[in-house]
Amino acid sequence: MMSVSRATVLWGLIAEHAAAGGRRVAVGDVCAVAVASAQASGAWVAAASSRGPDFVLSVTDPVSEQLAELQLLLGEGPSHDVLAAAAPVLAADLGDQESGRRWPAFTAEARSTGAMAVFAFPLMIGAIRSGIIGLYRSSPGPLSSPQLGDCLLLADTATVLLLESLDGGTPQADGIGPGTRPGGQSPDLAVHRVEIDQATGMLTVQLGVSAGEAFARLRAYAYARDRRLADVAGDIVARRLRLDPEPGQEAGR
Amino acid sequence: MDSELLSGTFVELADTMVADFDIIDFLHMLTDRSVALLAASAAGVVLADPRGELRVAAATSDAAGMAELFQIQNDQGPCLDCFRSGHSVTAADLADPGTPWPRFAAAATQAGFRTVEALPMRLRDQVIGALNLFRATPGAFEPADLRIAQALADVATIGLLQERSLRRSETMAEQLQAALNSRVVIEQAKGKLAERVGTDMDEAFRLLRDHARNTNQRLTDVARDFVDSTSAEFPPPPGH
Repeated sequence: MMSVSRATVLWGLIAEHAAAGGRRVAVGDVCAVAVASAQASGAWVAAASSRGPDFVLSVTDPVSEQLAELQLLLGEGPSHDVLAAAAPVLAADLGDQESGRRWPAFTAEARSTGAMAVFAFPLMIGAIRSGIIGLYRSSPGPLSSPQLGDCLLLADTATVLLLESLDGGTPQADGIGPGTRPGGQSPDLAVHRVEIDQATGMLTVQLGVSAGEAFARLRAYAYARDRRLADVAGDIVARRLRLDPEPGQEAGR
Repeated sequence: MDSELLSGTFVELADTMVADFDIIDFLHMLTDRSVALLAASAAGVVLADPRGELRVAAATSDAAGMAELFQIQNDQGPCLDCFRSGHSVTAADLADPGTPWPRFAAAATQAGFRTVEALPMRLRDQVIGALNLFRATPGAFEPADLRIAQALADVATIGLLQERSLRRSETMAEQLQAALNSRVVIEQAKGKLAERVGTDMDEAFRLLRDHARNTNQRLTDVARDFVDSTSAEFPPPPGH
C-alpha cells in the first residue's frame, strides 16, 4: 500500500524534526517537512474561523510571514480561496494573467517579497475546517504529482494537529494530545474510510459537539484503547458502540 | 438496449450540468442510470486521490460495502489495473479460480458480485478515475453496452471537470479535491442524520438528496449546513 507507507514516511520525518528540536510534534514541523518535500522556499500555517483565515500560527521564514500576514490584511489571496472552495489553490506562476486577475493586490505585493509561486491547501475534513497551510517558491513552476500527494498528506496531518490543540481551548502552535508525540502513532488518515466520516457525524449528535470536536474525541477514544480509528468508527456506525458525552470517561486523558 | 431510456439519460445528464450543479449528486445520478441502462447490479465512480488512493465518489447502494471493495482495490483489482493502463478491464467471472485478483475476487463474490467492468475516466492522457459496473451473474457485458458505459464515463469526466477552464493542469487537481471533500461532507451529514432519525446510511442519504432537490439547493450545501448547524434538527433551521 504505497499511500500508507508514504504517509508513514512523512510522519517519521515530522517526528524526527520535532525530536531534533526537543519538542512535541507541532504544525511548525509539518511546515518544515512540506518545504523539504515540495522543494519550496517557505511555508506557513494559519488558523481559520468560520469567516476565513484568522491568525498566523507558524511560519518558516520572514517571507512566509509576510505572505501570510498580507492575506489577512488584504482579505484576498489563496488562503481565502482554499477555504471558500474547499480545495487547494495551486498558483504555479504569480506572473501569469490568472493570478493577477484573481488577486490583484495580493499578487503584486507577494511578488515584491520575492514569491513567484504559491500553493495553498485547506486544513479540512469535510465540513470540519481548522485552517490553511501555504507554501511559496521564489521561482515559478508547478508541483509534481508526488509533491502534490505529499502536500495533501501533510495538510491532513496539520489538520489533526490543529484539531487536537483546539480541543484544549485556545489554538497553540505546539501540538498536544494523542498521536502527536514524537514516536507516537501517525494521524492515521492516509487510508480513508467512509465510516470515519459517518461516525464523526453520528458523534456530533451523541456528544452534542461540533464535527471537529467529534472527530478529535473519536481519535482520542481509539488512541486510549490502542485501537485503529477505522475499527472504532466501524463499531459506532454499526451501533455496537456509543461514546459517553462526559469527556474523560472514554478518552482516558 | 432501451434506446428511449438511453436518450433520456443523456438528456437528463446534460440538463443537470447547468451552472452550480452538485458534482456528487450528478455522479450518483450517473451510477443510478448506468445500472438501469446496462442491466448491472451496482455501479460506482472512484476517483484517484493524489495521496495515492482510490476514493469512492458515488455508488448506487450500500456505499460502505462498495467502499470496502474499492479499498481492497488499492492493493489489487480490475479498477486499479484500469487506472494503471488507462484501458477498460473486464473480470468476466470472479469465481474463476484463475482470477488475477484473488483477494478482490473473494470480497466481491462475498458481496454478491460475479462480474466487474472498470472503465477509465480520462482527460487527454491522464486517468482521473473509473466507472465500475458490477453484475451478480457471470459473463462479460455486451460490446454495445460497453460503448455506452464508456460514453457515460466520459460524461462523468466532463461533469467533474467542467466547472472551470482546464487550460491549467493545476485546475484538475483542485477540482478533484473539491469533489472528494464534498463526498466527506455528505458522509458526515449522513452520519449525523442517521443518528438523529435512527435510520441507516442509505436512507439518510435519500433524505438529504430529497431535501436538496425539493428546496433547489446543492446537495453538498445542504450537507454542510446540516453538519455545521449546532442543532441536530433536520432540515436545519433557516438563518443558520
